Formats: sequence, C-alpha cells, structure tokens
Amino acid sequence: MKVVELVEVTKVYELPRGSIKALDNVTAGIEAGEFISIMGPSGSGKTTFLNIIGCLDVPTSGEVLIGNEKVNGLSDDQLTKLRRDKIGFVFQQFNLIPTLTALENIEYPMILKGVNGHEERSKEFLRSVGLDEQLGENKPNELSGGEQQRVAIARALANDPDIILADEPTGNLDSKTSKDIMQLLQATNERGKTIIVVTHDPLVAGYTSRTFRLVDGRVDRVGV
Amino acid sequence: MIFFEFAKRNLARHKFRSVLAVIGIVIGVMAITALGILGNSVRLAASEQLYMIGNEVVVFPYGEEAVSEDNFKLIEKTADVAIPINSMVDKVVLNGESELVMIYGMRSEDVSKLLEKEDGQFLKHGSLNCLVGSRLADNYELRVGERATIKSQKPRIVGILKERGMGFDINPDNAIIVSDKMFSSLYNSSGYNLVVVKVGKIEEVEEVRKDIEDRLNKKEKVVMVMELKQIVEGIKEFFNILSMFLIGIGSISLVVAGVSILNVMMMSTVERTKEIGVMRAIGTSKSGILRMFLFESLILGTIGGVIGAIFGFGVGFLVDVLILKEASYLFAPSSIFYVFVGIAFGIGTSVLSGLYPAWRASRLKPIEALRYE
Repeated sequence: MKVVELVEVTKVYELPRGSIKALDNVTAGIEAGEFISIMGPSGSGKTTFLNIIGCLDVPTSGEVLIGNEKVNGLSDDQLTKLRRDKIGFVFQQFNLIPTLTALENIEYPMILKGVNGHEERSKEFLRSVGLDEQLGENKPNELSGGEQQRVAIARALANDPDIILADEPTGNLDSKTSKDIMQLLQATNERGKTIIVVTHDPLVAGYTSRTFRLVDGRVDRVGV
Repeated sequence: MIFFEFAKRNLARHKFRSVLAVIGIVIGVMAITALGILGNSVRLAASEQLYMIGNEVVVFPYGEEAVSEDNFKLIEKTADVAIPINSMVDKVVLNGESELVMIYGMRSEDVSKLLEKEDGQFLKHGSLNCLVGSRLADNYELRVGERATIKSQKPRIVGILKERGMGFDINPDNAIIVSDKMFSSLYNSSGYNLVVVKVGKIEEVEEVRKDIEDRLNKKEKVVMVMELKQIVEGIKEFFNILSMFLIGIGSISLVVAGVSILNVMMMSTVERTKEIGVMRAIGTSKSGILRMFLFESLILGTIGGVIGAIFGFGVGFLVDVLILKEASYLFAPSSIFYVFVGIAFGIGTSVLSGLYPAWRASRLKPIEALRYE
C-alpha cells in the first residue's frame, strides 16, 4: 500500500526576480513501512519535496495523496488536522516548545487531538525513546541535544502517524549521538513506521532502504 | 485549556516585560475609576444641595413689581395647585442676635403643600406665629416655643422645617415663614413675588407653562415662567458631560497602555515566529494560535484592570474624603459602577490591543515561520 503518492507535482515560487521551479513534474510513490532518504545539493528542491509531503505546502500543479487522502484543495484547518494525525515531524534544531517540559512536549499533540490518558502515554513514549522518566520534568534547555532529539522523536510518534518526516535530524549532533539517533529511527522503522529523512550525510542515507536523489527539482535517480 | 496555559507560561517567560505592560493598564484603569468616582461624587454632592422637583412651574413678575391678584386668578385656572408667595428681606432678632433674614409670606394652608416640618407644627389659618428653616434653627439654636422679633412683632416659633436644599422656587432653609395675614401686617404689599404651580403629571409641565404664558403675556410680557424640569435636566446634562470629560481624560492613559500592550505583543509574535511555525507544523490550528495570544492580552488586561480598579477606588476614597469631605458617595451604586467601568475598559483595551498581533501570528505561514531565525 502506498502511503505517499506524488503525481506530476510541480511547485513554482514566484519571486520578484522571476519564478523558480522548485519541483519539476515529480512523480514518486512511497510504500508503507519504507525508510527513505532524500539527498541532493542545496537548492535541488529537497525541502520543498519534504514540505509538500508534510502538508506544509501545496503544489502549484499535480496531485498529492497521503494515505489515500487527496491533499489538493484541502483548507488550512484540514491540512492542520492531517499534519496532527498522520505526520510526525523531526527537525534539525529539535524545535521543542521551550515553555513546555519534555513530557508536556510529548503530550501536546495528543492534547490537540483529544487523546485520552495522554499523561500516562507520554511517559511510555519517553521510555520508548530511551529516556529516563525523571528527565521528563525538565524544560528543553535543560536537556542535551541528543536528549532533545529523542524527545522530538517521541513527540513525532505521539499520535501514531503514518509517516515520520525528518529534516536533517542529525545536523546539529556529534557523530556518536547521530548514530544513536539513527539507530532509534531505524528501530522505529522496524516497528512499522514509514520514515523519510532529508540529509546531506551519506552515513545517514546508509541506514535507509531507498534514496531519492534530487537535482534541479527533478528526481534524478532512485537508489536502492 | 492548553492555550490558556501557554499564555500564562509565555507571560511568565518575560516577567519584567509583562509587569510593565500590566502597570500601564493599572494606571489607565486607576485614572478612569478614580475620575469616574470623582465626577459621580461631585454630582451626588450637588444634587443633595439642590431641591429638584420636576413637576413645578414657577412664575415671576416681569417688568412689574409683583404678580397681580388678577393674574394670580388666571394662573390658578391652569393647574390644581397654585401657591402665591411673598418675600422680603428684613432685620430679625433671633436669640438676641440681629440678622438679615428672608421672610416668606404664604397662605397657611399652602405651607404643607410645599414644605415638610422637622419639629412642632404648621401654621394655623391666619396665624400670627412663624416657622423657621432648619439651618436658621441650627445656627441660632432656635427651639419651638421661642420668639423671633420682626419690626415690632414677636411671632412665636411653632415649627421647624426639614432641610430642603437650594431650590429654584424658594430657599426655606435660611428663612422664616409667616402667614399671608402676618406678612401683610408687616409690609404693605399688593400682588405676589412669585407663584409656584404644581402640575399633576410631569408630561403636562410644558403644556401648563404655555397655558400660563398665553393667558398672561397677551399684550406685553408681565410674567416670566420657569420650568424646573428644564433646569433640572440642564444640570443633569452638565454633570453627565463632566463625568464623560473626566473619563475621557482617564482614557488617554489607557490608550497609552493599549499601545504598550500592542508593542509587547508585536515583539512577542516576532520573537516567537519560529515557535509558532513549529506549533503550526505539528498540528496547532490558526485559531489555537489566535487564542493563545488573545489569552495573553486577556490575562494582562484582567490583572491590570482589577489592580487598577482597586487603586482607583482608593484614590476615589482619598479625593472624596479630602475634597468633598464625605466618604458616603464612594459606596453609592453609581460610584461602584465606575469600578466595573474601569475593569471593563482595562480588559477591553488590552484585548483590543492584542487582536492585531494575535491575528498576525495566526496568519503566519508554517513553512515561512519555520525558516525564521
């Protein structure tokens, strides 16, 4: 079953000095349970590709389907719900909410969705990403980069999404911690989650089962 | 409510900034509450002094010395109650002291229609006794049974009147009231100095006034007809304008406070752009962001409003005690009303000022906000 499907997707940005084609007629599909990496030089359209799958941006033309649901034409509120329920985001800079504790950060998406027992479940998620429960009471700025990224992964998993999108998840981490985080993502993938990682790092791409190489807004090569 | 919690924590994150914003609101609300209470207290103090009855029409002679007996007969036809009154200022000896006092001459049966008594009794028909006003009685320690000396007459004080305040018809508080018979034995008078007409229904006042003018001022103007309703309304209008003016002054400081809240919130939305982007990305709706920021301004406004109203009430108390020397106006419902006006204005200004920043924050595009550094 395809969890993501892009059909002839083009994204054009209108800028004062002319229009830029960030994605040029891209057709791609991702099966449920895949572990995908997206590579390519700066400006190749990686981020746009990720934003469109993440329902943060809508294509200029072409169709996008997330778990069989057509994204085109959805309202802002509908896109927001889609992101909340079906997509988990992991960012390069962790991006935890600074006013919330680690546990509350994990709880937050569940509160938005109205999930019962979010307090207990957030503790389970914290343990599942290998963190001690006592760390849960800390604010993000009291945690190390690796710990923050673990919390971010737990937050991404909180509403049991179809897809995890990770934009350079190891970009701000040292190599040892990067390895831990990639192993955590790999373990998550082995439990059945579809994961899409944007990266510059071939070592990161090495964990994945398939690599999309983007050049000038086109999928240049799909490696295995 | 998760967004209320966010609002609380975000305000706590910049305590000093939040406190400054609250102080602005406190000052504005304090000004409105205190000035509102002051205006209202002045109004209450003034209306206690003024004897205001809306259903009276007062007729004064115009161009002549008095309203003639014939004209009085005409006036009598226009309404149920018409009270002719004569007045004269004369030297009176009270408790051994000589003083210039206003003396009113009225038909004995009319006194109770216009005045109330505190002590003793009213005048009997054709009585040669007198009544004294409350202030006069206080000042000269007069008691029922004592005598006053007017010219060669020594009328006995049979009653003391209730305090009435300043009126537009007569001012009995500092006066002596005698019967028409007594008055004409003291002074040579023909006609009356004024006629008070009481109208049954307040709606008919205007009609009666016109009626009197039509009947009396035919060829030339011989009487001036005053409607107390007009005067009373003029005074009420004046105090309303005074209150509005004072509140207007207070509002200026609240506008300044509103601008400072707007400023704080704008700063906050810019600083938190990336955070808003993250919140939007992981599933927070536009309305959630909007609510978060509105709660922030609501919290600032409520805290500032309540503290400001308490201080404003305190300042109102000081002003009442120091200037008007009377604290009771403070607890009148119409004064307490301004405490709530102050709080409402504080919260209103604050929320209004938060509206634009909140709307702007909610409209941020998630991808652009996420990219913001």
